[in-house]
Amino acid sequence: MNVKKLIVEPLHKTNPVTVLVLGICSCLAVTAQLKPALVMGASVTVVTMLSNFIISLLRKGIPNRIRIIVQLVVVATLVILIDQFLKAFAYEVSKQLSVYVGLIITNCIIMGRLEAFALSHGPWESALDGLGNGLGYSLILVIVAFFRELLGSGTLLGYQIVPQSFYELGYLNNGLMILPPMALVVVGVIIWIQRTRHPEMQETTHKH
Amino acid sequence: MKRDINSRDYIFMYSTVLIVVVAVLLTVAALWLQPYQQRNKDNERCVNILKAAGIPDVNTENAQQLFEQHCKASLLLNEKGEVSTEGSFPLYVIDNLTTVIPMQGNGLWGPIWGYIAIGPDGNTVVDANFSHKSETPGLGGEITTEKFQRQFRGCPFRKNNCYSPIEVDAITGATKTSKGVEEMINKTLLLYLPYFEKR
Repeated sequence: MNVKKLIVEPLHKTNPVTVLVLGICSCLAVTAQLKPALVMGASVTVVTMLSNFIISLLRKGIPNRIRIIVQLVVVATLVILIDQFLKAFAYEVSKQLSVYVGLIITNCIIMGRLEAFALSHGPWESALDGLGNGLGYSLILVIVAFFRELLGSGTLLGYQIVPQSFYELGYLNNGLMILPPMALVVVGVIIWIQRTRHPEMQETTHKH
Repeated sequence: MKRDINSRDYIFMYSTVLIVVVAVLLTVAALWLQPYQQRNKDNERCVNILKAAGIPDVNTENAQQLFEQHCKASLLLNEKGEVSTEGSFPLYVIDNLTTVIPMQGNGLWGPIWGYIAIGPDGNTVVDANFSHKSETPGLGGEITTEKFQRQFRGCPFRKNNCYSPIEVDAITGATKTSKGVEEMINKTLLLYLPYFEKR
């Protein structure tokens, strides 16, 4: 079992967001500020890891025809349980998370990893794969949120970064950065940089 | 004996067992955790009420205790603005006759709520705070920030015994949520207006 490969590859070469282009929807929704992006990244990582582990344990008994339903039930149960626990013991975190609980269940990365990896690999490998992919997702989320919050609100994690003197000289926050479309543009720029630096990642189109 | 995991019987059995296990798990968790969750909610309510009334240094730890100390009366009003045990509009009287009123309304994506504190004169807003279920962070979510909430301090809502509506400047990119806040405040104040007129 190659631990390093399982965790490091999804950060870059098989990144779920920039290479597999999964989880884009939540990437738009939670990246207007850095803090929710961190919370969302952490929760998706935990859920992907646990659901990968559980589905991998069950994989030999799951009937093929209802496997998607079984996966969905397991993921939904996990998310609800985690949400209930947070509401009881970490109320502040749960308030941050409340909006995103639904988004975690529907995150394509989780189902994607269950189908592509957990069903055909052992539990520990699957847990690591979930961890790696969760981290890969969080990484992109944090990069996007960093630029959106910095340029859109002039703050990071709520702290003022752009000095007041800039505003006095006529600098304005870019309101467009806060709106969802700019998340797509930032993700696009990340994909562009990544594929320019690594030409082997570019898809070959048919030649004229 | 090796079972065929794709046979119809097995699929029925498997899904039944799975659903029962999940149902039991969720029920146990919900029942076991409910008291803790309720305590958190009560604490938050006390914190919000006390903060609106301007009590300093309130946190979730000392909220219940401070609430008992400062809350002089918790009343219910009926539609005519009279105090009645069968009323359906609650209000809390804190220390020096500051009245704290709970509010409920709608934002863009879901419910918003909050508390508004009215000064002893019955004419001006002392402070207000807001919470929301699912407004967008960075846009509608900004209504929970100190920066937004402190704009309501000292706003008059009654001039020459006439109601003058509170107006909310919209947050950029969050027009709907801002309108929701405005509607919520005015709707609530109008409901409670008879009480202040009589006082």
